[in-house]
Amino acid sequence: MQPDLTAALSMRGIEKHFGSIIAVDAVDLDIPTGQICGLTGPNGSGKSTLFDCCTGLQKATGGRVFAAGTEVTGWEMHRIVREARVIRSFQKAVVLRAMSVEDNLVLAGQMVAFPGFAGTFAIGAASRARIRGLRERAGHVLELVGLSHMRHAEAGKISFGQQKLLQFSTMLMADPRVILLDEPMAGVNPVLIERMIENINRANREDGITFVVVEHNLDAMKALCHRLVVLSRGRIIADDTPDVVVRQPEVVEAYLAG
Amino acid sequence: MLTDVAVNGITAGSVYALVAVGMTIIFGVLRAINFAHGEYYMLGTFGAWWAIETVELPYLVSIPAAVVIVGVIAFAIGVLVMRRLIDAPFQIGVVATLGVSLVLQNVVILVFGGSYKMFDGGWIEPVDIFGAGVSQQRIIIVIAALVIFGGLELMVRRTRFGKTMRAVAQNIEACKIMGVDVPRVVTGTFVLGCCLAALSGALTAPVTGSLYGGMGTAITVKTFAIIVMGGVGNVGGTLLAAWLLGLMESAVAGYLGLQFRDAVAFVALIAVLTVMPGGLFSRRERF
Amino acid sequence: MGSDMRLRIGGFAGFLALLLVAPAFLGEYQVHALIVSLTFLLPALGLNLILGYAGMLSFAQMAFFGIGAYVSALMAMRWGTPFWLNFLAAGVVAGVVALPLGIPALRLRKYSFVMCTLGFAVIAQTLAKNWVSVTRGDLGLSNVPRPMLGLWSGGIEIRGITSYYYLALGLSVIAVLAFLAIVSSPAGRYMIAIREDETLAASVGAPTWRYRMAAFVLSGVFAGCGGSFYVHYYTVISPTIFDPYYGNTLLVIVLGGGVGTLGGVVAGSFIFVALSEVLRVAPDIRMIAYGLLLIVVVFGCPEGLLPLLMRKLRRPTHAT
Repeated sequence: MQPDLTAALSMRGIEKHFGSIIAVDAVDLDIPTGQICGLTGPNGSGKSTLFDCCTGLQKATGGRVFAAGTEVTGWEMHRIVREARVIRSFQKAVVLRAMSVEDNLVLAGQMVAFPGFAGTFAIGAASRARIRGLRERAGHVLELVGLSHMRHAEAGKISFGQQKLLQFSTMLMADPRVILLDEPMAGVNPVLIERMIENINRANREDGITFVVVEHNLDAMKALCHRLVVLSRGRIIADDTPDVVVRQPEVVEAYLAG
Repeated sequence: MLTDVAVNGITAGSVYALVAVGMTIIFGVLRAINFAHGEYYMLGTFGAWWAIETVELPYLVSIPAAVVIVGVIAFAIGVLVMRRLIDAPFQIGVVATLGVSLVLQNVVILVFGGSYKMFDGGWIEPVDIFGAGVSQQRIIIVIAALVIFGGLELMVRRTRFGKTMRAVAQNIEACKIMGVDVPRVVTGTFVLGCCLAALSGALTAPVTGSLYGGMGTAITVKTFAIIVMGGVGNVGGTLLAAWLLGLMESAVAGYLGLQFRDAVAFVALIAVLTVMPGGLFSRRERF
Repeated sequence: MGSDMRLRIGGFAGFLALLLVAPAFLGEYQVHALIVSLTFLLPALGLNLILGYAGMLSFAQMAFFGIGAYVSALMAMRWGTPFWLNFLAAGVVAGVVALPLGIPALRLRKYSFVMCTLGFAVIAQTLAKNWVSVTRGDLGLSNVPRPMLGLWSGGIEIRGITSYYYLALGLSVIAVLAFLAIVSSPAGRYMIAIREDETLAASVGAPTWRYRMAAFVLSGVFAGCGGSFYVHYYTVISPTIFDPYYGNTLLVIVLGGGVGTLGGVVAGSFIFVALSEVLRVAPDIRMIAYGLLLIVVVFGCPEGLLPLLMRKLRRPTHAT
């Protein structure tokens, strides 16, 4: 099957083996631009591994990945982020704990403000002006997500839910086309989940960012996603609107079995 | 010439192997690089020398004497220093063991003086092997290395202590939860590793013929090269890497000149790691 | 944050003022000890960059230091080039040597990296001992010219200990400023991110390998420049410069002073060189005491002396 070159993200035959264990088994998936696509499935069904293979954290055993028509198979993570503007979050490592909230955002914005390697070593007036610009932008983003009051706090000292929101805002600093969120709501209290959903929706609506969200919280997924894909044992077993998917017998069975 | 090179290489390699295997098992349980490891080799040589010169023991008895002396010292250091390295960041381990190395080296220099000493003992009668005269001591060293490596493999696989050691090396957190006395395993492994280094020192002394307080440093750095090349925690790989290094060194010393010998280990190390980041005998990178 | 910054700037300014007037109150020997501290400061800054900002422990610092020293000495002896040029060339050559070493070494895990850099020091020493036609082997180079402060030939020759001291101080100030510039640049922010969490840094677009390489090369440049000053001060150089002792001293300075901090490393350079000099009164137990000190410092204040001190200073303001 030909990859869909108009899709924000197009995966063809992605496979990942760990020895004899097959974590991801020939997955084909197209995420059209502007979609919020949920990805769910029992533990160990290969969701995170699929993420890893698309974002360069792990090398897929086989298959190809395209981002907006460009093949990114085998690229290192930083290159996929920079050139394909596909950026991801992590379940556990969330923010740089020793840095301030604002510095976390500035760091993420640097790749936009300083595209060249040599340029990052500059400390002249132009470089300082760009950093000032990033700080201003960080201020706006923090206001949008509702973290302004913590701007100068040490990132490791704010609550875990707030760290997840912070992580989300750092990704906005990088001008992404696609954001992959790995369990953005796990371990977060209901109020902040609400706020996270709002923020994802706004970024999708106003900035046209495409989302792929791995999440177990099906209520949140129903509220958020245009489409829900279910993985089980490394294969896609359902792919439709959330309301339809949660009623499919294979899905119910996979969840009960998992 | 070729036989000489081979014999010297295998002997030196066996000596390195005995020191290196101790370092490898210590690294396994502690995840710390022991910068003082060569000092226990030095202490072993000094222990045997002291037993012969001062207590006037025969060489054969001086070997276990040296091992026991070093075992006691290692136990003290294990309790005072090494136990604290459990869960410590690795820089802490580097600096702490460097400190231990300085202390041990300079205490020996303070007590026995900084000059070279002659080692009088051992069996240095030559035996004829393939037309080359090989001293009995060299043969003993190689046999000792083989026996000890066999014993270690058995111990690690069969005995309770060996199994616990492997468990700690694999997952220290799980062992703590299971109620394994991790500090005891660490101390035990450390003492065992140091005793092997001491044994190596006592066995080698008749071949090298001389000893001095600073002799451990060169051994320490070569040991690093061996355990990285052999693959950490890989007992068999350590022996092979040690022999390989011994042979390469002896070839370089024989054909190029003695002065280049000490750089061989690291040229080989850098070359090996460039091509095979996991060492010679492992596909995976684990160090 | 604000008061912290003021405390730091004030601390540095006060310390610099003290150093500026120091020779007026000190004897020749003490001034010499200060010069030794300043000599160690440059490679220590380099080590702080690679260890404290990129998270890699390197034993190659003293090798770069030695390489810089040999380069600078040979240039001055053979071609009579001026000090500033030798100084820069020493840094550049050390940095260039770091590049091919970094390619295999930086791909490795942290332990293998340590071994590789240690091995590099051994190889550098072997080379210095055996490349007799250039380095004169174990004899080393002697009668290395004193620094000539001039544009090309001639200029002012640095002779007296006080003028050496001010030269060292001037170079150190430049080095500290350069260090500050690096770590406060966007690249410095990337390096800190890489130290804290390499995957996270890559996920915001940092080409981690390049920045670690940059930190490694720059650490070589700092060390090479330090070696240049060293050799024109002592006017002799031999392969003993590659001995582990010097490398260990650097580690003590950086780890004992406070890795990842600038003030800690500056303080460490003075404190530990001073200690080492004080211990000279008992030469027999000097190294033993040094070793014990290492163990005590590393377990007593694992983050370094200065961060400990800063916390003590800050605590009262928190209490009120």
